[in-house]
Amino acid sequence: MRGIYFIVFGTLLMQNLSAQDKYLTKEGFVSFFSHSIVEDIKADNNQVLSVVDTKTGEIAIQLLMRSFMFEKALMREHFNENYVESYKFPKATFSGEIRNYAELNETNTVSEIVGTLTVHGKEKEISSKVTVIITDNIITLTGDFKVEVADFDIKIPAIVANNIAKTIKVSFELHHKPYN
Amino acid sequence: MAPWITKYLKVRGRKFKILIGFFLVVIIGLTASLYYYNKPHVNVEKSDAVYRLTAHNLIKEYQDNEKNTNEKYTEKVIQIEGDVSEISTLRGNSVVTLNDPDSESSIICHMQAEDNKRALTLRKGERITIKGVCTGYLLDVIMVRCILVE
Repeated sequence: MRGIYFIVFGTLLMQNLSAQDKYLTKEGFVSFFSHSIVEDIKADNNQVLSVVDTKTGEIAIQLLMRSFMFEKALMREHFNENYVESYKFPKATFSGEIRNYAELNETNTVSEIVGTLTVHGKEKEISSKVTVIITDNIITLTGDFKVEVADFDIKIPAIVANNIAKTIKVSFELHHKPYN
Repeated sequence: MAPWITKYLKVRGRKFKILIGFFLVVIIGLTASLYYYNKPHVNVEKSDAVYRLTAHNLIKEYQDNEKNTNEKYTEKVIQIEGDVSEISTLRGNSVVTLNDPDSESSIICHMQAEDNKRALTLRKGERITIKGVCTGYLLDVIMVRCILVE
């Protein structure tokens, strides 16, 4: 299954199109936020890899689960060891497209991003509203969406069930530069 | 122990001593839990690097067998020697990239705030040694909490 993402990425990056068609970032920002009565949990990932094909609107995103930075070391440990089991599933990936990419411009900046999100080895079709700002050299995608923890087979032990929300808000901000 | 404590305990009954003992255990337990809950992130500077290798070798290991290499290096403090190919900043902290002439991949090192000043004085092509925590491999190897080693 990992092979599929390799192929998607490889294909996106190696297609023989002019350099201006592919935009890439290795420093994309993705964060998630869980709100519960007991505590709020949030983590940031600043090393997200993302490629956009401006000809087709296709997008492929990869990130390392271990790159999520938490304030508390213990939270990060629980996240990696117990919840997402990053030793088994080190990456989360997304493969999909920005709808109607060709129609986006200075005044029309809002669209939808749809595709398959894979976390903890489980795939889920998701969609998110996305704001696309296109300047000469940078394509910026920002947005946020919600996911259900249970959809990805992430088991929260009963003892901390009240510490972690069932629905997590995920935010992203990706500034892509031309890839050549 | 101070004489008044022993005298006080002798006067009070056994139940009292047990109660005191119980509270002591609870307080110690709570303190230990608090320390554990607030335990610090790994101190890269004070840790010994589990592995020391060159940028080229680390990248090659990842390209040969990503899964095994991940198991070997992920979350470990490792020391890498390589040539600077790029220096940039990200959200206030510096990022130093070490390249490998034999491949498209590099090692992206996210530096700790304390090393920002020094990192920004590095020059392209300079050979340096970096110690940090390896988090894995996307198109490049990614390391976090990095410091420069003399």
